[in-house]
Amino acid sequence: MKRHLTERELIEYRFKLASDSRIEKAAEHLSRCGQCRKHLEKLVRRFAALDLLREEITVSDDLVERTVEQASQPVQRRIIPFRKSAWLSAAAAVLVVGLLLLLADNLSEKVTKKPEFAKEPTGIEGEIKFEKDTEITRAERLDKGVPAMKTFAMAPSKEETRVGKALGGAATSGVTGGIIPEQPPFAPASAIELVTLPRRENVQLTIYNSADLTLVRERRNLTLKKGWNWLQFMWANTLIDPTSLTLEPLEQKDKVEIQQLVFPARLRELGRWLIRSEISGQVPFEITYFTSGLAWRAFYMGTLAKDEKTMRLEGYVRVDNGSGEDYENAQTRLLVGTVHILDQIAELAKRQYPYGSPQVIAPGEVSAHYIITDSSFMKYDTLNVSGILSGDLYGGLSRKEIKKEGLSEYFLYTIEGTETIPDKWGKRLLSFEANDIAVKSLYKYDEERWGTETIRFVVFTNDEKHNLGQTPIPNGDVKIYSQADDLGFLSYVGGTSIKYIPVNEEVELNLSPARLVTVKPKLMDFKTENYLFDSKGNVSGWDEVQTWQIEATNTRILPIEVEITRGFETAYWQMKFGEKDISYEKYDVTHARFKLNLSPRSKKTFAYTVRTYYSEREQSLRESMTKETAK
Amino acid sequence: MDNTDRSLIDAHCRGDRMAFAELVRRYGGSVLGYLVRMSGSREQADDLFQETFKRVHEKAYMFRGTQFKSWLFTIATRVAIDSLRRRRRLRLVSLSQNVDCADGTCEQLNTVAVTDGSCEPSAEVVMAEQKEQVRRAIEMLPARQRAALVLAYYQQLSYREVAEMLGCSIGAVKTQMSRALRTLAQRLPDISGEVK
Repeated sequence: MKRHLTERELIEYRFKLASDSRIEKAAEHLSRCGQCRKHLEKLVRRFAALDLLREEITVSDDLVERTVEQASQPVQRRIIPFRKSAWLSAAAAVLVVGLLLLLADNLSEKVTKKPEFAKEPTGIEGEIKFEKDTEITRAERLDKGVPAMKTFAMAPSKEETRVGKALGGAATSGVTGGIIPEQPPFAPASAIELVTLPRRENVQLTIYNSADLTLVRERRNLTLKKGWNWLQFMWANTLIDPTSLTLEPLEQKDKVEIQQLVFPARLRELGRWLIRSEISGQVPFEITYFTSGLAWRAFYMGTLAKDEKTMRLEGYVRVDNGSGEDYENAQTRLLVGTVHILDQIAELAKRQYPYGSPQVIAPGEVSAHYIITDSSFMKYDTLNVSGILSGDLYGGLSRKEIKKEGLSEYFLYTIEGTETIPDKWGKRLLSFEANDIAVKSLYKYDEERWGTETIRFVVFTNDEKHNLGQTPIPNGDVKIYSQADDLGFLSYVGGTSIKYIPVNEEVELNLSPARLVTVKPKLMDFKTENYLFDSKGNVSGWDEVQTWQIEATNTRILPIEVEITRGFETAYWQMKFGEKDISYEKYDVTHARFKLNLSPRSKKTFAYTVRTYYSEREQSLRESMTKETAK
Repeated sequence: MDNTDRSLIDAHCRGDRMAFAELVRRYGGSVLGYLVRMSGSREQADDLFQETFKRVHEKAYMFRGTQFKSWLFTIATRVAIDSLRRRRRLRLVSLSQNVDCADGTCEQLNTVAVTDGSCEPSAEVVMAEQKEQVRRAIEMLPARQRAALVLAYYQQLSYREVAEMLGCSIGAVKTQMSRALRTLAQRLPDISGEVK
């Protein structure tokens, strides 16, 4: 190669981007061309600047925690394998069945209907209607409050089927002369004959965030017939804990008895209750169970006034439903606090068969673990605290109220009225808003905690004096803005995560490093002295004396307060100052803290000398302090 | 991929939170480093970090390969490039550090703060400025060139691995690298102190 190498060729040679032959040629040229070698060296020096950004970046525990927390929702899998042959077979089968039904329909028009169907009780109308609605869309079903995935079904017994009352649903198993046989039927009739029950009358959700646990209490009116009745409960594609299922009649308790809950072999994700009823007619039931996949989180938006002396704080609650089940018109309650449970509900829900029984909880532990199953749950004192809610995701509904109740170590928020939360949807609600909260802007410098950066904090107290204090504030993310101009535009100041703030507790919001406020400590002098020696002439004690100069700069247009913490790694230290107007407070045994007030756009410098004592000199410090105390 | 990664992914798919936390801790440092260099901002990198692992969480059951790290960086690259595209559409200006600079006096004041004292501008300040120049130079690269550079240079991955992560050929990676380095050669500061 006679010509000189271009910059591109040099780069490709340096970073091995060219082909082997071209790299070889370039190397050969470089071996005999000084000018190109110099050019290459210059490029290498230039690219060395890239190494300035090669510093080690570590992930904070907080970030890991937030990331893991975010992924706390169970993994939802939806794998729908598409097999051409299977789909074609299914389509063919549907066609055949459709044709057969058409034929049967034509034939049946010519036949007189059986009188038994006409005599069905009125309570069954809803059931029959729902059967007809099997083709309605998901949205329509939601409007009508029809469950999307989980279904209930009543099965007549085999004997009932034989006498032609399949549609009745509430079967009387061999009731002759009004006497119910003592032996219950072994199993319900085929699932093909099952009839879906009317929709939920109402449903209540209590969401325990900390445990990914939600108690669902729903009320349904079941139409029973005198005798044995089967009720089928299915939880396919949901995260319901099958071991937690309970069914209880709300009326006629002396005449309706829940005999057993069975999980039939070879049938996945369904259970059947056997109910013995001495009456015919509609009976309200409460069905309770635990599910996972519902979660709520609180988050907040704070807006600082221009002078940063007051703040407006708005709290929001967002409820997310990933449970696999639509909850329509549900009364929703949110619980703050940590609940201990024996099993992860999501794990239980994924079991192929719900082996084990609801009695897995030891009797003494029931109240501690599933406290909300206790019907006395609502007896706790209400604090009569309310906040104003507004908005919902898709309904444009009226503003609602969230009631807050104290439950000893827990705290319960109840959303006023009902909310519809379809599966995979989230809903955001305004929890509270407070104006003119007095806040303090504080800057902190502590090398042991935050390195060489000055961290900005906003400080306020959750009490009435600060227009808060009506309820504890649940943990959540806070974003702080400040008014950037008179037109009301906001600028983002910083954000952080807060932990649960009890009433009357002060909170410091860490708003990340501040660039406009800096603190620079400089070591000006260092020496060791006052050596002590033992009998063998070895050093047995000494002092270290360090002189530090601290320079604090405020380039903001507002006055600020800076808190500077200095550590000495030993409990034996004494401090002296050059100027008299500087003082410190002993933060703990090894740390001193300075507080400075800086006016706008100003700088303050002060110096201190710290003497630290080591080994036997520690004893001398103790003695001198004891003497001073005695004086 | 070692067996532990596979077992952790499987455990995570079964709902084991500890397994997911272990994955985050194991690869968090390198992913965050990558995202910081891709985004040029620690705050934004934190967001992208969470988004990356959120996608890992959501797509974990789809992971069938053998190289978890490659798969993870592929996701991180997509997240970062998506973010860069969004930023290009919507120019975000951080107001948090410049709230008081509306009148334009801050820069002047900062300059005074540095030179007003008795000491000369320290090497630390010069280095900070050089770092900023490098950061800006990388930030001005197109997204794919930036991704190729960060993965190959800072993450020290082979061009083959980079190609896997970016979903392109090795030749394409080399082309992106070459372009990126030629651009940087014009923009990087000379830290040896020579005047350009």
